[in-house]
Amino acid sequence: MANTVIGSTIVIDGEITGDEDLVVQGTVKGRVSLRENIIVEESGVLEANVETATITIHGTVTGDIQASERAELKSNCRVVGDIRAPRILIADGASFKGNVDMDG
Amino acid sequence: MASIVSRPAACVLGQRITVRGTLTGEEDLVVEGRVEGSLALAGHLIVAESGVLEADIDVQSIEVHGEVRGDIVASESITIDKGAHVAGNVRAPRVIIHDGAQFQGAVEMDVTLPEDLARGLSR
Repeated sequence: MANTVIGSTIVIDGEITGDEDLVVQGTVKGRVSLRENIIVEESGVLEANVETATITIHGTVTGDIQASERAELKSNCRVVGDIRAPRILIADGASFKGNVDMDG
Repeated sequence: MASIVSRPAACVLGQRITVRGTLTGEEDLVVEGRVEGSLALAGHLIVAESGVLEADIDVQSIEVHGEVRGDIVASESITIDKGAHVAGNVRAPRVIIHDGAQFQGAVEMDVTLPEDLARGLSR
């Protein structure tokens, strides 16, 4: 299956919508709305409100995250914003500031 | 020369992705989905058969197999392939339009005319 990769030198200012997996190595500002999985890699920066099924963050996210299934904050990630998801995992070493809402 | 930093994986916007806004970057990009707005890339852009760009495009080089509505400026070359639909003005030192491509718009290449001819035109 085709995978969408936003490369490390790519900057998108605006809106991304779709229903396939997204890997962010670059920068996305604005809004991301996806029905699949997002992976923010170490070099990736999301300055955006995010709506998705699952999100895995190794990099930096500023903005509110709403995941219908799972949000996973890996060690060394930096996240500022509110997270709403039925399952939220925060690994040792992750930096996070914001509210957590697991009520779905 | 071997680079220490591994090259990033080819940047692809998949078939079911829509980007609205501005996209900038310094690497090669393959668009299989949809981009609306503007796109500026210091690299090679490939618009795949399924790709649709409603955007003004400023790139190093571009290869269109899909659909582009908007003006294209390339510092090297613009290739419009068989099966492609392009509507807009294109400007590049090299513009290649293949048999079977549909194109509507103006083409601007650097044309060096003999001096007397050029003088005649400028009048």
